Amino acid sequence: MTPARVFTDAEIVEAVLKGDREAFGHLVERYQKGLVTYIYHMVHNYEEALELSQEVFVKAYESLGRYDGQYKFSTWLYKIAGNHAIDHLRRQKIPTTSIQEREEDPDLPDLALESATLNPQEAYQNKMLLVEVQKALSGLPPSYRQLILLRHFAFRSYEEMAKITGMPIGTVKNRIFRARQILMERLKDFR
Amino acid sequence: MKDPKPSPRCTRILSLLPRFIENDFTPEESEEIRKHLEACASCREEYASMTRLLETLDALPAVGVPATFKDAVMRHIPNAEKGKKR
Repeated sequence: MTPARVFTDAEIVEAVLKGDREAFGHLVERYQKGLVTYIYHMVHNYEEALELSQEVFVKAYESLGRYDGQYKFSTWLYKIAGNHAIDHLRRQKIPTTSIQEREEDPDLPDLALESATLNPQEAYQNKMLLVEVQKALSGLPPSYRQLILLRHFAFRSYEEMAKITGMPIGTVKNRIFRARQILMERLKDFR
Repeated sequence: MKDPKPSPRCTRILSLLPRFIENDFTPEESEEIRKHLEACASCREEYASMTRLLETLDALPAVGVPATFKDAVMRHIPNAEKGKKR
């Protein structure tokens, strides 16, 4: 593939299927940040998120022949990622709250919500809210957490979320509304 | 101090807020909720909190990815034409 041209996901997939193994690297570059972050917020462990994300890309490559081009590549990738992360959590069967660990790790990015329009106190309050939201998020059942992340981090439509999770749209909506209510209840003391 | 026990009307409106925020109602239904929010400070406060939560969720930060990540993935994918059939 010509390095200077920007290829669509479909074109890259086609090239890989025709034997251009290196073209798959373009898809990795395109989705690595979103995917690692999605899985990180699912499992709350950075090293595990990197490892699981790597496995997801390898899985996607190995099953690319079964990818149905009528769906977005990213929808398919998030489906593999969600299943992989949930399988991992099931295998572990332990709570995954480790915000404290994350705060102490100097290699990870600052969690602060940066905004030029906020004064220091507002910025601090936002940062604290974000930390509390992440704690509350980590306490949700994995399937609810997955929906919140798909909607609010990956900005997926309800239709895409239904395809990714294999649930009917009505169930997706009901569960995400319920998940938000749980988060609101858990954040009651903080508000 | 907040009333710990909302009225049945407020309880109903609060249960509808998640769908209201998503514009999941007819204009008539939304209007009913809007009117209640205008008149009820407690539900309005709850609505503001929920909106703030959604804004915070929308701003969940991305984590960094090591520069070596792509190479690590590429090292693990097979060279042979494995499983790639249309």
